[in-house]
Amino acid sequence: MAIVEISNLKKSFGKLDVLKQITFDVNKNDVIAVIGPSGSGKSTMLRSLVHLEEINGGSITIDGEAFVKDGVYAKPQDIKKITSKMGMVFQHFNLFPHLTVKENLELPPKLVKNEPVASIQQRSTELLRKIGLTNHADFYPANLSGGQKQRVAIARALMMNPEILLFDEPTSALDPELTGEVLEVIKALAQEQMTMIVVTHEMGFAREVANRVIFMDNGEIIETGHPSELFTNPQNERTKAFLSRSLK
Amino acid sequence: MSLEYFTSILVPMLEGAQMTVLLFFIAIIVSVPLGFLLTLAVKSSFKLVSLLAQGYIYVMRGTPLLLQLLLICFGLPMLPVVGEYLVFDRFVAACIGFVLNYAAYFAEIFRGGLLSIDKGQYEASKVLGFSKWLTTTRIILPQMVRVTLPAIANESVTLVKDTALLYAVAVPELLHFAQTAVNRDFTIVPFFVAGMIYLVMTLVLTFIFKGIERRYKFE
Repeated sequence: MAIVEISNLKKSFGKLDVLKQITFDVNKNDVIAVIGPSGSGKSTMLRSLVHLEEINGGSITIDGEAFVKDGVYAKPQDIKKITSKMGMVFQHFNLFPHLTVKENLELPPKLVKNEPVASIQQRSTELLRKIGLTNHADFYPANLSGGQKQRVAIARALMMNPEILLFDEPTSALDPELTGEVLEVIKALAQEQMTMIVVTHEMGFAREVANRVIFMDNGEIIETGHPSELFTNPQNERTKAFLSRSLK
Repeated sequence: MSLEYFTSILVPMLEGAQMTVLLFFIAIIVSVPLGFLLTLAVKSSFKLVSLLAQGYIYVMRGTPLLLQLLLICFGLPMLPVVGEYLVFDRFVAACIGFVLNYAAYFAEIFRGGLLSIDKGQYEASKVLGFSKWLTTTRIILPQMVRVTLPAIANESVTLVKDTALLYAVAVPELLHFAQTAVNRDFTIVPFFVAGMIYLVMTLVLTFIFKGIERRYKFE
Protein backbone atom coordinates (compact mmCIF):
# COMPACT_ATOMS: atom_id res chain seq x y z
CA MET A 1 0.00 0.00 0.00
CA ALA A 2 1.16 3.47 -0.86
CA ILE A 3 2.35 5.55 2.08
CA VAL A 4 2.55 8.72 -0.03
CA GLU A 5 0.04 9.41 -2.79
CA ILE A 6 0.52 12.47 -4.90
CA SER A 7 -2.05 13.22 -7.56
CA ASN A 8 -2.34 16.02 -10.09
CA LEU A 9 -0.07 18.32 -8.14
CA LYS A 10 -0.11 21.82 -9.61
CA LYS A 11 1.94 24.78 -8.55
CA SER A 12 2.62 28.09 -10.20
CA PHE A 13 4.61 31.15 -9.27
CA GLY A 14 2.62 33.91 -10.97
CA LYS A 15 2.29 32.89 -14.61
CA LEU A 16 5.04 30.30 -14.42
CA ASP A 17 3.78 26.74 -13.95
CA VAL A 18 6.51 24.97 -11.97
CA LEU A 19 4.54 21.78 -11.36
CA LYS A 20 2.07 20.48 -13.92
CA GLN A 21 -0.10 17.54 -12.90
CA ILE A 22 2.51 15.60 -10.95
CA THR A 23 1.22 12.16 -9.99
CA PHE A 24 3.08 9.33 -8.31
CA ASP A 25 2.90 6.98 -5.34
CA VAL A 26 5.54 5.97 -2.85
CA ASN A 27 5.29 2.59 -1.19
CA LYS A 28 6.61 1.74 2.23
CA ASN A 29 10.37 1.01 2.12
CA ASP A 30 10.73 2.64 -1.29
CA VAL A 31 13.83 4.66 -2.00
CA ILE A 32 12.93 7.06 -4.75
CA ALA A 33 15.49 9.19 -6.52
CA VAL A 34 14.16 12.27 -8.23
CA ILE A 35 16.48 13.53 -10.94
CA GLY A 36 16.25 16.22 -13.57
CA PRO A 37 17.77 19.52 -14.69
CA SER A 38 17.80 22.62 -12.48
CA GLY A 39 14.48 24.41 -12.48
CA SER A 40 12.55 21.25 -13.34
CA GLY A 41 10.44 21.52 -10.16
CA LYS A 42 12.06 18.68 -8.17
CA SER A 43 12.68 20.72 -5.04
CA THR A 44 9.33 22.50 -5.24
CA MET A 45 7.60 19.13 -5.43
CA LEU A 46 9.49 17.87 -2.39
CA ARG A 47 8.84 21.06 -0.43
CA SER A 48 5.11 20.80 -1.20
CA LEU A 49 5.04 17.46 0.61
CA VAL A 50 6.02 19.06 3.92
CA HIS A 51 3.92 22.18 3.32
CA LEU A 52 6.86 24.52 2.76
CA GLU A 53 5.14 25.41 -0.51
CA GLU A 54 1.40 25.86 -1.03
CA ILE A 55 0.17 24.00 -4.07
CA ASN A 56 -2.53 25.38 -6.37
CA GLY A 57 -4.22 22.11 -7.19
CA GLY A 58 -4.10 18.36 -6.62
CA SER A 59 -3.97 16.11 -3.57
CA ILE A 60 -1.31 14.83 -1.22
CA THR A 61 -2.14 11.84 0.95
CA ILE A 62 0.23 10.58 3.63
CA ASP A 63 -0.44 7.22 5.23
CA GLY A 64 -4.08 7.32 4.13
CA GLU A 65 -4.78 10.89 5.27
CA ALA A 66 -4.95 13.79 2.82
CA PHE A 67 -3.70 17.16 4.09
CA VAL A 68 -4.57 18.77 0.78
CA LYS A 69 -7.35 17.41 -1.41
CA ASP A 70 -8.10 18.84 -4.85
CA GLY A 71 -6.19 21.97 -3.92
CA VAL A 72 -8.07 22.52 -0.64
CA TYR A 73 -5.95 22.35 2.50
CA ALA A 74 -7.07 20.72 5.74
CA LYS A 75 -7.16 22.62 9.05
CA PRO A 76 -3.73 23.81 10.24
CA GLN A 77 -3.54 21.34 13.13
CA ASP A 78 -4.42 18.46 10.80
CA ILE A 79 -1.79 19.56 8.28
CA LYS A 80 0.73 19.65 11.11
CA LYS A 81 -0.23 16.21 12.34
CA ILE A 82 -0.09 14.62 8.90
CA THR A 83 3.14 16.29 7.74
CA SER A 84 4.84 15.36 11.03
CA LYS A 85 5.20 11.84 9.62
CA MET A 86 7.85 13.22 7.30
CA GLY A 87 11.34 14.43 8.05
CA MET A 88 13.31 16.71 5.76
CA VAL A 89 17.00 17.15 5.08
CA PHE A 90 17.93 20.39 3.33
CA GLN A 91 20.63 21.25 0.85
CA HIS A 92 22.06 23.85 3.21
CA PHE A 93 21.62 21.70 6.36
CA ASN A 94 19.77 24.43 8.28
CA LEU A 95 21.20 23.31 11.59
CA PHE A 96 20.52 25.67 14.49
CA PRO A 97 23.84 27.52 14.88
CA HIS A 98 23.23 28.54 18.50
CA LEU A 99 22.84 24.94 19.65
CA THR A 100 25.45 22.21 19.98
CA VAL A 101 25.17 19.03 17.94
CA LYS A 102 23.54 17.23 20.85
CA GLU A 103 21.13 20.11 21.47
CA ASN A 104 20.24 20.25 17.77
CA LEU A 105 19.22 16.62 18.06
CA GLU A 106 17.44 16.79 21.40
CA LEU A 107 15.68 20.14 21.42
CA PRO A 108 13.06 19.41 18.72
CA PRO A 109 11.66 16.22 20.31
CA LYS A 110 11.87 17.85 23.76
CA LEU A 111 9.77 20.79 22.60
CA VAL A 112 7.41 19.03 20.26
CA LYS A 113 7.01 15.46 21.44
CA ASN A 114 5.59 14.29 24.69
CA GLU A 115 8.44 11.96 25.41
CA PRO A 116 10.60 11.28 28.49
CA VAL A 117 13.97 13.03 28.34
CA ALA A 118 15.80 9.76 29.03
CA SER A 119 14.48 8.14 25.89
CA ILE A 120 15.31 11.25 23.83
CA GLN A 121 18.88 11.19 25.15
CA GLN A 122 19.20 7.50 24.50
CA ARG A 123 18.10 8.01 20.89
CA SER A 124 20.47 10.94 20.32
CA THR A 125 23.41 8.95 21.71
CA GLU A 126 22.57 6.06 19.44
CA LEU A 127 22.15 8.28 16.36
CA LEU A 128 25.40 10.13 17.04
CA ARG A 129 27.17 6.80 17.12
CA LYS A 130 25.47 5.79 13.90
CA ILE A 131 26.63 8.90 12.04
CA GLY A 132 30.08 8.57 13.61
CA LEU A 133 30.01 11.87 15.51
CA THR A 134 29.91 10.71 19.13
CA ASN A 135 32.98 12.81 19.89
CA HIS A 136 31.39 15.91 18.36
CA ALA A 137 28.27 15.99 20.58
CA ASP A 138 29.29 19.28 22.20
CA PHE A 139 30.54 21.00 19.05
CA TYR A 140 28.67 23.92 17.56
CA PRO A 141 27.73 23.60 13.87
CA ALA A 142 30.22 26.39 13.03
CA ASN A 143 33.04 24.01 13.97
CA LEU A 144 31.91 21.11 11.76
CA SER A 145 32.72 20.35 8.14
CA GLY A 146 29.90 20.39 5.58
CA GLY A 147 29.72 16.61 5.52
CA GLN A 148 29.53 16.45 9.30
CA LYS A 149 26.82 19.12 9.33
CA GLN A 150 24.71 17.18 6.86
CA ARG A 151 25.12 13.97 8.87
CA VAL A 152 23.91 15.86 11.96
CA ALA A 153 20.98 17.23 9.95
CA ILE A 154 20.00 13.68 8.98
CA ALA A 155 20.23 12.56 12.61
CA ARG A 156 18.14 15.55 13.68
CA ALA A 157 15.41 14.56 11.22
CA LEU A 158 15.56 10.96 12.47
CA MET A 159 15.14 12.10 16.08
CA MET A 160 11.49 12.82 15.28
CA ASN A 161 10.96 9.18 14.23
CA PRO A 162 9.60 10.03 10.77
CA GLU A 163 8.02 7.36 8.60
CA ILE A 164 9.29 9.03 5.47
CA LEU A 165 12.49 10.98 5.01
CA LEU A 166 12.83 13.60 2.27
CA PHE A 167 16.20 14.80 1.01
CA ASP A 168 16.49 18.02 -0.99
CA GLU A 169 19.83 17.75 -2.85
CA PRO A 170 21.63 16.64 0.32
CA THR A 171 25.10 16.72 -1.22
CA SER A 172 24.85 19.68 -3.60
CA ALA A 173 26.37 22.16 -1.15
CA LEU A 174 29.29 19.88 -0.26
CA ASP A 175 32.82 19.67 -1.57
CA PRO A 176 33.09 16.57 -3.78
CA GLU A 177 35.31 14.74 -1.27
CA LEU A 178 32.68 15.15 1.45
CA THR A 179 29.68 13.75 -0.45
CA GLY A 180 30.70 10.14 0.18
CA GLU A 181 30.26 10.23 3.96
CA VAL A 182 26.75 11.66 3.60
CA LEU A 183 25.72 9.18 0.91
CA GLU A 184 26.99 6.35 3.13
CA VAL A 185 24.58 7.41 5.88
CA ILE A 186 21.67 7.53 3.42
CA LYS A 187 22.66 4.11 2.07
CA ALA A 188 22.67 2.67 5.57
CA LEU A 189 19.15 4.04 6.07
CA ALA A 190 18.05 2.39 2.83
CA GLN A 191 19.34 -0.92 4.14
CA GLU A 192 17.23 -0.42 7.25
CA GLN A 193 14.17 -0.09 4.99
CA MET A 194 13.63 3.62 5.59
CA THR A 195 11.16 5.10 3.13
CA MET A 196 12.94 7.95 1.34
CA ILE A 197 12.51 10.42 -1.47
CA VAL A 198 15.84 11.85 -2.54
CA VAL A 199 16.17 14.76 -4.94
CA THR A 200 19.70 14.39 -6.20
CA HIS A 201 22.26 15.09 -8.89
CA GLU A 202 24.32 12.06 -7.85
CA MET A 203 23.52 9.63 -10.65
CA GLY A 204 25.80 6.90 -9.32
CA PHE A 205 24.07 7.07 -5.95
CA ALA A 206 20.59 7.04 -7.53
CA ARG A 207 21.53 4.00 -9.55
CA GLU A 208 22.96 2.11 -6.62
CA VAL A 209 20.46 2.89 -3.86
CA ALA A 210 17.08 3.79 -5.39
CA ASN A 211 14.51 1.18 -6.30
CA ARG A 212 12.75 3.72 -8.50
CA VAL A 213 13.96 6.78 -10.36
CA ILE A 214 11.74 9.64 -11.38
CA PHE A 215 13.00 11.94 -14.11
CA MET A 216 11.42 15.40 -14.06
CA ASP A 217 11.74 18.17 -16.59
CA ASN A 218 9.89 21.44 -16.91
CA GLY A 219 7.43 20.67 -14.10
CA GLU A 220 6.43 17.24 -15.37
CA ILE A 221 7.37 13.64 -14.71
CA ILE A 222 8.84 12.56 -18.02
CA GLU A 223 9.85 9.04 -17.18
CA THR A 224 9.94 6.75 -14.21
CA GLY A 225 11.35 3.29 -13.72
CA HIS A 226 13.81 1.01 -12.01
CA PRO A 227 17.31 2.50 -12.20
CA SER A 228 18.57 -0.47 -14.20
CA GLU A 229 16.05 0.33 -16.95
CA LEU A 230 15.98 4.11 -16.76
CA PHE A 231 19.73 4.62 -16.75
CA THR A 232 20.63 1.98 -19.34
CA ASN A 233 17.65 2.17 -21.63
CA PRO A 234 15.78 5.47 -21.29
CA GLN A 235 12.65 5.65 -23.45
CA ASN A 236 12.11 9.37 -23.69
CA GLU A 237 14.31 11.70 -25.77
CA ARG A 238 14.54 14.25 -22.96
CA THR A 239 15.66 11.59 -20.49
CA LYS A 240 18.29 10.43 -22.94
CA ALA A 241 19.55 13.96 -23.50
CA PHE A 242 19.68 14.68 -19.75
CA LEU A 243 21.45 11.43 -18.91
CA SER A 244 24.01 11.79 -21.67
CA ARG A 245 24.79 15.26 -20.28
CA SER A 246 25.05 14.21 -16.64
CA LEU A 247 26.73 10.83 -16.98
CA LYS A 248 29.69 12.24 -18.87
CA MET B 1 43.34 71.69 44.79
CA SER B 2 42.79 69.99 48.11
CA LEU B 3 41.56 66.46 48.64
CA GLU B 4 38.72 67.84 50.79
CA TYR B 5 37.50 69.97 47.92
CA PHE B 6 37.67 67.00 45.60
CA THR B 7 35.55 64.83 47.92
CA SER B 8 33.16 67.71 48.56
CA ILE B 9 32.24 67.87 44.87
CA LEU B 10 32.57 64.14 44.20
CA VAL B 11 30.00 63.03 46.79
CA PRO B 12 27.02 64.97 45.39
CA MET B 13 28.07 64.06 41.85
CA LEU B 14 28.14 60.37 42.70
CA GLU B 15 24.71 60.77 44.27
CA GLY B 16 23.60 62.41 41.03
CA ALA B 17 25.15 59.52 39.13
CA GLN B 18 22.75 57.20 40.97
CA MET B 19 19.92 58.90 39.09
CA THR B 20 21.84 58.35 35.86
CA VAL B 21 22.31 54.66 36.61
CA LEU B 22 18.70 54.24 37.74
CA LEU B 23 17.38 55.85 34.57
CA PHE B 24 19.74 53.75 32.49
CA PHE B 25 18.49 50.48 33.97
CA ILE B 26 14.82 51.42 33.76
CA ALA B 27 15.23 52.56 30.16
CA ILE B 28 17.17 49.48 29.04
CA ILE B 29 15.00 46.93 30.87
CA VAL B 30 11.75 48.32 29.50
CA SER B 31 12.76 49.55 26.06
CA VAL B 32 14.55 46.39 24.86
CA PRO B 33 11.49 44.10 25.14
CA LEU B 34 9.24 46.95 23.99
CA GLY B 35 11.51 47.41 20.98
CA PHE B 36 11.23 43.74 20.13
CA LEU B 37 7.43 43.92 20.31
CA LEU B 38 7.61 46.93 17.97
CA THR B 39 9.71 44.90 15.54
CA LEU B 40 7.11 42.14 15.59
CA ALA B 41 4.41 44.78 15.03
CA VAL B 42 6.30 46.17 12.02
CA LYS B 43 6.53 42.65 10.60
CA SER B 44 2.89 41.89 11.39
CA SER B 45 0.68 40.73 8.57
CA PHE B 46 -2.02 43.11 9.83
CA LYS B 47 -1.31 46.13 7.64
CA LEU B 48 -2.73 48.63 10.14
CA VAL B 49 -0.60 47.35 13.02
CA SER B 50 2.48 47.42 10.82
CA LEU B 51 1.77 50.96 9.57
CA LEU B 52 1.16 52.28 13.09
CA ALA B 53 4.41 50.74 14.32
CA GLN B 54 6.36 52.14 11.37
CA GLY B 55 4.82 55.58 11.92
CA TYR B 56 5.72 55.45 15.60
CA ILE B 57 9.33 54.53 14.86
CA TYR B 58 9.56 57.28 12.25
CA VAL B 59 8.30 59.96 14.65
CA MET B 60 10.43 58.82 17.59
CA ARG B 61 13.62 58.61 15.55
CA GLY B 62 12.83 61.66 13.48
CA THR B 63 12.50 64.15 16.34
CA PRO B 64 15.01 65.08 19.05
CA LEU B 65 14.84 63.19 22.32
CA LEU B 66 15.11 66.55 24.10
CA LEU B 67 11.95 67.77 22.37
CA GLN B 68 10.15 64.59 23.41
CA LEU B 69 11.29 64.98 27.02
CA LEU B 70 10.22 68.61 27.18
CA LEU B 71 6.86 67.68 25.66
CA ILE B 72 6.21 64.95 28.22
CA CYS B 73 7.43 66.99 31.23
CA PHE B 74 6.02 70.39 30.38
CA GLY B 75 3.79 70.01 27.31
CA LEU B 76 1.34 67.30 28.23
CA PRO B 77 0.07 69.02 31.42
CA MET B 78 -0.88 72.01 29.25
CA LEU B 79 -3.34 69.96 27.18
CA PRO B 80 -6.97 70.95 27.71
CA VAL B 81 -9.18 68.56 29.75
CA VAL B 82 -6.73 65.62 29.97
CA GLY B 83 -3.71 67.75 30.89
CA GLU B 84 -4.32 67.64 34.63
CA TYR B 85 -4.08 63.83 34.57
CA LEU B 86 -0.77 63.95 32.72
CA VAL B 87 1.31 65.65 35.37
CA PHE B 88 4.06 63.21 36.29
CA ASP B 89 6.97 63.39 38.62
CA ARG B 90 9.83 64.77 36.47
CA PHE B 91 11.93 61.64 36.82
CA VAL B 92 8.97 59.41 35.96
CA ALA B 93 8.22 61.60 32.95
CA ALA B 94 11.85 61.38 31.84
CA CYS B 95 11.78 57.59 32.19
CA ILE B 96 8.67 57.45 29.99
CA GLY B 97 10.37 59.65 27.40
CA PHE B 98 13.56 57.57 27.32
CA VAL B 99 11.69 54.27 27.14
CA LEU B 100 9.44 55.44 24.29
CA ASN B 101 12.37 56.88 22.36
CA TYR B 102 14.84 54.03 22.85
CA ALA B 103 12.23 51.38 22.07
CA ALA B 104 12.08 52.84 18.55
CA TYR B 105 15.86 52.57 18.13
CA PHE B 106 15.98 49.03 19.50
CA ALA B 107 13.11 48.09 17.19
CA GLU B 108 15.22 49.15 14.20
CA ILE B 109 18.23 47.22 15.51
CA PHE B 110 16.15 44.07 16.00
CA ARG B 111 14.58 44.44 12.57
CA GLY B 112 18.06 44.41 11.09
CA GLY B 113 18.89 41.35 13.20
CA LEU B 114 15.86 39.46 11.95
CA LEU B 115 16.76 40.26 8.34
CA SER B 116 20.10 38.53 8.85
CA ILE B 117 18.52 35.22 9.84
CA ASP B 118 18.41 32.68 7.03
CA LYS B 119 14.96 31.55 5.94
CA GLY B 120 16.20 27.98 6.23
CA GLN B 121 16.00 28.40 10.02
CA TYR B 122 12.25 29.02 9.78
CA GLU B 123 11.83 26.14 7.33
CA ALA B 124 13.74 23.65 9.49
CA SER B 125 11.69 24.75 12.52
CA LYS B 126 8.44 24.31 10.64
CA VAL B 127 9.32 20.85 9.34
CA LEU B 128 10.34 19.78 12.86
CA GLY B 129 6.87 20.78 14.04
CA PHE B 130 7.69 23.94 16.04
CA SER B 131 4.88 26.41 16.60
CA LYS B 132 5.44 30.07 15.68
CA TRP B 133 6.01 30.85 19.36
CA LEU B 134 8.64 28.12 19.79
CA THR B 135 10.35 29.13 16.55
CA THR B 136 10.54 32.76 17.66
CA THR B 137 11.64 32.17 21.26
CA ARG B 138 13.92 29.15 20.90
CA ILE B 139 15.41 29.53 17.43
CA ILE B 140 15.12 33.08 16.12
CA LEU B 141 15.56 35.19 19.29
CA PRO B 142 18.89 33.69 20.43
CA GLN B 143 20.36 34.13 16.95
CA MET B 144 18.98 37.65 16.70
CA VAL B 145 20.54 38.56 20.05
CA ARG B 146 23.94 37.39 18.87
CA VAL B 147 23.75 39.40 15.65
CA THR B 148 22.47 42.56 17.33
CA LEU B 149 24.68 42.56 20.45
CA PRO B 150 27.31 44.98 19.09
CA ALA B 151 24.59 47.42 17.99
CA ILE B 152 22.79 47.07 21.34
CA ALA B 153 26.06 47.73 23.17
CA ASN B 154 26.61 50.84 21.07
CA GLU B 155 23.09 52.09 21.73
CA SER B 156 23.52 51.46 25.47
CA VAL B 157 26.63 53.64 25.57
CA THR B 158 24.64 56.37 23.84
CA LEU B 159 21.92 55.92 26.44
CA VAL B 160 24.37 56.48 29.31
CA LYS B 161 25.40 59.79 27.77
CA ASP B 162 21.83 60.77 26.87
CA THR B 163 20.88 60.58 30.55
CA ALA B 164 22.58 63.99 30.78
CA LEU B 165 19.39 65.32 29.16
CA LEU B 166 17.79 64.96 32.60
CA TYR B 167 19.56 68.25 33.24
CA ALA B 168 17.19 69.96 30.81
CA VAL B 169 14.09 68.84 32.67
CA ALA B 170 15.59 69.79 36.02
CA VAL B 171 16.05 66.34 37.51
CA PRO B 172 19.15 66.58 39.70
CA GLU B 173 21.68 64.18 38.24
CA LEU B 174 25.42 63.96 37.68
CA LEU B 175 25.73 66.87 35.29
CA HIS B 176 23.47 69.09 37.40
CA PHE B 177 25.79 68.80 40.40
CA ALA B 178 28.86 69.37 38.22
CA GLN B 179 27.35 72.54 36.75
CA THR B 180 26.36 73.76 40.23
CA ALA B 181 29.91 73.27 41.51
CA VAL B 182 31.40 75.01 38.47
CA ASN B 183 29.19 78.06 38.97
CA ARG B 184 29.67 78.18 42.73
CA ASP B 185 33.43 77.62 42.89
CA PHE B 186 34.44 79.17 39.57
CA THR B 187 36.56 76.17 38.51
CA ILE B 188 36.21 73.74 35.62
CA VAL B 189 37.45 70.74 37.62
CA PRO B 190 33.92 69.42 38.27
CA PHE B 191 33.36 69.10 34.51
CA PHE B 192 36.40 66.84 34.25
CA VAL B 193 35.27 64.81 37.25
CA ALA B 194 31.85 64.39 35.61
CA GLY B 195 33.56 63.30 32.40
CA MET B 196 35.59 60.72 34.31
CA ILE B 197 32.46 59.32 35.95
CA TYR B 198 30.77 58.94 32.55
CA LEU B 199 33.89 57.23 31.20
CA VAL B 200 33.92 54.77 34.10
CA MET B 201 30.25 53.95 33.52
CA THR B 202 30.70 53.37 29.79
CA LEU B 203 33.84 51.34 30.44
CA VAL B 204 31.98 49.02 32.82
CA LEU B 205 29.19 48.72 30.25
CA THR B 206 31.64 47.88 27.48
CA PHE B 207 33.17 45.09 29.57
CA ILE B 208 29.75 43.69 30.43
CA PHE B 209 28.77 43.56 26.75
CA LYS B 210 32.10 42.02 25.75
CA GLY B 211 31.34 39.28 28.29
CA ILE B 212 27.87 38.71 26.92
CA GLU B 213 29.23 38.62 23.36
CA ARG B 214 31.69 35.91 24.35
CA ARG B 215 28.84 33.84 25.76
CA TYR B 216 26.89 34.20 22.53
CA LYS B 217 29.69 33.18 20.21
CA PHE B 218 28.46 29.64 19.52
CA GLU B 219 31.82 28.29 18.49
